[in-house]
Amino acid sequence: MALRKGQKVEVFRRSGDESWEPYMDKFIGRHGIITDPDTSINDPESLVEVSLDGMGTHRLPQDCLRVLEA
Amino acid sequence: MTLTQCPVDQTLALLCGAMEENRLQHPRSRRIAGQLIAMIEDVASGRAGSEHLPTLERLADELAGFAAEATGMALGTEVRLSLTANHEVFASHIETQNCAAGACDRLAPSPCQMACPAGIDIPTYVALIGEGRDAEAIETIRRDNPFPWVCGLVCTRPCEFMCVRGRIDQPVAIKTLKAFAAERALSLGHYVNPPQAPPKHRKVCVVGAGPGGMSAAYYLALNGYTVRVLEALPMAGGMMMVGIPRYRLPREVIDREVAMIEALGVEFCFNTRLGTDVTFEQLRAEGFEAFFLAIGAHASFRLNIPGENDFPQVTQAVDFLKRVALGDRRLPGQEVIVIGGGNVAVDAARTCLRLGCASVTMAYRRTLSEMPADVEEIEQAEEEGVQFSFLTIPVAVEGEQGRVIGLRSLKAQMIAQAGSKRMVPEPIKGSEFILRADAVISAIGQRVEKKGLEELQTLAWTRRDTIQVHTATMATDLPGIFAAGDAVTGPATVVEAIGGGKRAAAAIDRYLNGLPQPSMPPVPVRHHRAAWTEVPAATKMALKRQPMPLLNMDRRRTTFQQVELGLSENMVREEARRCLRCDICRRCGLCVTICRDKMKVDALRLGYLDFDHPGPTDFRWTQEHCIACGACAANCPNDAMQMEDRKGERIVHLCGTILSRQPVRYCDGCGQAIGTDRYNAFVRQRTQRIAPVTGNRVYCEACGRRQSILDAHDVHPMD
Ligand code: SF4
Ligand code: SF4
Repeated sequence: MALRKGQKVEVFRRSGDESWEPYMDKFIGRHGIITDPDTSINDPESLVEVSLDGMGTHRLPQDCLRVLEA
Repeated sequence: MTLTQCPVDQTLALLCGAMEENRLQHPRSRRIAGQLIAMIEDVASGRAGSEHLPTLERLADELAGFAAEATGMALGTEVRLSLTANHEVFASHIETQNCAAGACDRLAPSPCQMACPAGIDIPTYVALIGEGRDAEAIETIRRDNPFPWVCGLVCTRPCEFMCVRGRIDQPVAIKTLKAFAAERALSLGHYVNPPQAPPKHRKVCVVGAGPGGMSAAYYLALNGYTVRVLEALPMAGGMMMVGIPRYRLPREVIDREVAMIEALGVEFCFNTRLGTDVTFEQLRAEGFEAFFLAIGAHASFRLNIPGENDFPQVTQAVDFLKRVALGDRRLPGQEVIVIGGGNVAVDAARTCLRLGCASVTMAYRRTLSEMPADVEEIEQAEEEGVQFSFLTIPVAVEGEQGRVIGLRSLKAQMIAQAGSKRMVPEPIKGSEFILRADAVISAIGQRVEKKGLEELQTLAWTRRDTIQVHTATMATDLPGIFAAGDAVTGPATVVEAIGGGKRAAAAIDRYLNGLPQPSMPPVPVRHHRAAWTEVPAATKMALKRQPMPLLNMDRRRTTFQQVELGLSENMVREEARRCLRCDICRRCGLCVTICRDKMKVDALRLGYLDFDHPGPTDFRWTQEHCIACGACAANCPNDAMQMEDRKGERIVHLCGTILSRQPVRYCDGCGQAIGTDRYNAFVRQRTQRIAPVTGNRVYCEACGRRQSILDAHDVHPMD
């Protein structure tokens, strides 16, 4: 999944990635917008910046995100 | 205390009031009160942990027992009493992150503020700019971000992606407004530092003078700490200075904002590498108690193809951009190939053009739509003459007699990866070709340079080779060592580094004072509620996002002059009026529901209220349909929707947007306002009750009743 700026996404599950911290459990089910995808190499492993509705902007691993619209 | 008030909110207001009104004079009482405020803000915003309440009690006791200042003692006692009396409410805020009274989110941040990694109070500063109060706007911004001008030019603007106005037409040009206000305030000499806390005589060392390091230095210095910044380069700015080209961010912009930080007494040591020129041990011996690592991600990933290391004309984009930024303006070659599709690759390509390279081609393994660089950057590069070779996989750098002659490449096709939707480029067999070039610049990503940190043997690193931190505080597992910026996130944005620096400064302060750390990253703080600007509905709809004027193309191809010229004053003030003040209207939708379902009027077309499924919005619709009953205003939980009578008109407005303006009718008997014609017709139709009309006369209910008795007896009072 190559995420693009402005895409609407959902945090649909917990990530198993080491960068997932316990407070992020509160993000599950939240919708948001990709504000800074990996801007160098489209690496599926890189953390992407997501702004979550009502929860602020965070860098999250991509495997917890699901695109809601293209 | 009434049931609708929250003791947490009230205690916070009590302390903030004492500080704002300068009722506490002694530095120690002010320090304790400041710490109490920080702790209670955590409680109010749902970030507090189990240690917060005992710490609050201890601090309140400390203030109450500090005999040198009677006002402080009284305040401490009052806070302590509130903590004891409302122990359960405080505990429930901490455990449930919920304020039953709904008071603690009264100053709820708007979506733009929530989205800003530095948490800037955007609606407040946009409103101030709309009123021409640029210096106050800058003061507001600098509470959360010491680089308003830099961010006004280069921020990736996550706020604009969340901007609610974007659900109607286009987001407010938040970034550009900030740049205008910073430039204007600086030019008029109104850009000043806020007052500094008295010196604490405690030392903090910041490693790296990039946006993260300098932000931490700024907030620590403001808080009274002695700060030294170590920087390996000969100047401050980090990636802002050597990674972002001058046509996007002039050097003077960075220099002026750095000078403001230096003016707070922050000591900058340039050309100083940690681990080489100075060690942790030496710094600790000098009395530094905490360290903030903001070393950035200045090393590059390698292509790992034959020929990459054989020719001096093959360079890394970050090294190339750095040498140009430091003043070396020699051409890398005449025909240059830049490998990569990200922002750094685009920056390198556009820099080559400006240096005078005859042709610049970006070789990217995927297609245009997968290019990770910003769309605007790609468009501008294309306009300036950068060429693109898509679906191109480099396989070797070719050369003769020690000079590069081209890049051997394979054509690729995008295919779906097994078991995933992700499309990956696959080389096409036999498609090999050579892209002619005399210089190759590789821009396939950066990584953190670990050199210099060897002394911290137990510092934890992630599998991405970044420094591992707890992102709520930016603390590493080593006591007193904090980190943020690209060194933690990998190559990221300027504003994220600033946010990380600010967060780390707060955490360092807590660490040095033995205070508990929050369990979640901070929720942005609303500092106050700026007055709204009144705008007629038609104007609100008609105002469109102002386009950015650009430098002419000849100059863009030949000089490093700033490409984006900024908006004129008039454009800026107009743009600010597009803001919907989402700090006040929290988009609960109650007004729409009440008007449509309870009143059965349906006078509000506010489709933008819904984040997931925004519908059509037309503020003008209300003027045609509103009966000015006031039901929406009466039920608005945040006073965003209001109805008031002014000069014979009944006005319904939403955060200053005038939705409806109708003449009010007054009782011809007693002179009392009895609503608008539409309202009276509506009520008559439903209830057959009030406001009877006799001839041209209109009466309120009481006068109408009296008049009908008089009419029945055919008695007419003398006028
Ligand atoms: S309309 Fe104004 S307050 Fe609302 S999100 Fe946009 S800038 Fe922020
Ligand atoms: S005042 Fe107008 S918009 Fe508000 S509820 Fe009444 S009819 Fe609807």
